[in-house]
Amino acid sequence: MITVQDLHKTFSLTKQQRKELHTDARTATAVANLSFTCKPGRIFSLLGPNGAGKTTTLRMLATLITPTSGQITINGINALEHPQEARKHIGFLTGSTGLYARLTPLEIIDYFADLYKVESKDKEARKKYLFDLLNMNDFLHQRIGKLSTGMKQKVSICRTMIHDPSVIIFDEPTSGLDVITAENIIQLIRSCKEQDKTVIFSSHIMSEVDLLCDDLAIVHKGALKYHDTMDSFRTNMGSNNLTEEFIRIVQSPTA
Amino acid sequence: MIYRIFRKELLDTLRDRRTLMTMVVIPILVFPITLNIFMEISSSFQESAGDKTMKIGIVGDNTRNYTKQLEAIPASVGPKTIEVFKDSLTLRKAIEKDQIQLGLIIPANEKQLVAQQQTIALNWLLDASEVGRSERAELYSSSLKANAEAKRLQALKLRPEQIRPVIINTINCASDKKMVGQLAGGFLPYIFIAFGFIGCMYPAIDLFTGEKERGTIETLLTVPVLRWKILFGKMMVVVSSGMLAASCALLGLFISIEFLDLADNQELLEVIHSILTPKFILSMLALLLPLVIFFAGLMIPIAIYAKSFKEAQSIITPLNIVVVLPAMVGFFPGITLDITTVFIPVVNVVLATKALIAGTLSLTYFLSVLGMMCTLATLAILVSQKQFGKETNLLL
Repeated sequence: MITVQDLHKTFSLTKQQRKELHTDARTATAVANLSFTCKPGRIFSLLGPNGAGKTTTLRMLATLITPTSGQITINGINALEHPQEARKHIGFLTGSTGLYARLTPLEIIDYFADLYKVESKDKEARKKYLFDLLNMNDFLHQRIGKLSTGMKQKVSICRTMIHDPSVIIFDEPTSGLDVITAENIIQLIRSCKEQDKTVIFSSHIMSEVDLLCDDLAIVHKGALKYHDTMDSFRTNMGSNNLTEEFIRIVQSPTA
Repeated sequence: MIYRIFRKELLDTLRDRRTLMTMVVIPILVFPITLNIFMEISSSFQESAGDKTMKIGIVGDNTRNYTKQLEAIPASVGPKTIEVFKDSLTLRKAIEKDQIQLGLIIPANEKQLVAQQQTIALNWLLDASEVGRSERAELYSSSLKANAEAKRLQALKLRPEQIRPVIINTINCASDKKMVGQLAGGFLPYIFIAFGFIGCMYPAIDLFTGEKERGTIETLLTVPVLRWKILFGKMMVVVSSGMLAASCALLGLFISIEFLDLADNQELLEVIHSILTPKFILSMLALLLPLVIFFAGLMIPIAIYAKSFKEAQSIITPLNIVVVLPAMVGFFPGITLDITTVFIPVVNVVLATKALIAGTLSLTYFLSVLGMMCTLATLAILVSQKQFGKETNLLL
């Protein structure tokens, strides 16, 4: 379970950034007063155009960056006060996630299992389960640099799930992937839901959101524009299709 | 957990060919190759200069006498031919065109000077930029001088001791170890420092900027491990790489001396063996370790701040010059460890190592240098930690 209350994040702008953004302001607001809840066994989608603040929000949830103000709780743990404890419950995967090219999948999975302090017995069982599930056994000893994109994606998924997290955060997980590789991610998200895990994912692709999500939040310029269930979104939409409705909400001055 | 991170980063680093080259291969090979080339070229020059036939041109009074004297000098000194010139101008031109290699100018009144028992000034014309010519002229001069002196003493009916009442000798009280320490002592720390720095460079960039560029840092920061532990694990690899590169350079030097016979002087070899004791190596490493941590602490904040490998490299490479230049202080005689130099980073390690080789390093100075470098290393770690804690530095 993730609870977000009045989340706010501002960044200081460097001289160079001010020049690039054509502004005199010394700070930029990436996220403004965001509040929502992601429940276990449901898929929560954070939808918004590029630059809406999705990645910043998810990075704050993953405790990668600290909010300027607001509260985040992960499974009842205050993530700002106890980030180390919160991280034990979180699996984080992004579309731009890199892997160590000179290591093998087995070495990477062992490394992350150790960093998450997975017990030796559990580690072996978990590895076997994930390697079989993702059909990874044939390339476990090959260096990452020599693997295909699909194989790498499987390693990333395995790394995210090795400590059996109850909260999974996906930041545009299918970005840049072909349909077959993206399907692995979609299967993973569905499987997480079946296992009663809390799933939040960001996307700017409406069809992907429509396929997977139970609850929806639309953000634009850091602010929450819409927050409800997907069923409610479908029922109450004032446009012909989901994409048009999404654009309408984003462009409306008040939603 | 720090050790686990260290293990993984070390494995990753050792699999990087570029890093491995700068950390192990180049430091090991640089001495055997450069010293070998230097010795080969130097000895071949010396040999060819010694074997080369020198054409000697003579001009002035009594050339027949001098021709005879020169011809009497054994050919083992080097082959020669002698040609008499009419004037010094023609001789000079012949030397400039390298038709003649050595020119001997005898005073026009040589016979008269001999008769009057005056001093005879003989002048050699030569191109000193050519290897072996000055040395050959020196050899011929000493022979001509000895002949002239013997004749003069005979004419005066004197024994050599009668006109040489005193012979002054200089006796060097410094031990061979101290001499090697003073003459070559600056070289060893310079090499250690240069390779210590270069050894840190690529791992520092790869483990920090590289992680940012490849998008792996984001994943690493989501694990339940404190950031300072991640930093320390990585920093340990950077420091180990620097120490490994410096040690490999020493190993290369050792191989050159022991197995390639590049130092064929037995006495010198004994002195080198007496210097390279376990105590010396441990003291040297004790001085080097905080220095390498200091280097790592200088590079890591830059590597954390830089957005790309290229940017990090463009900032750290000039830093190399700033760091390595003070290390050259060891080459200058007269600069020693004192109350001022002990507080100058890099310079203090160079001078302490030089004194260590010479066997003159006091415990007080050793501890002062160590203390100074440990303080700087700690400061460098704190700066790195501060930079590593900044979220804007870590995420692109």
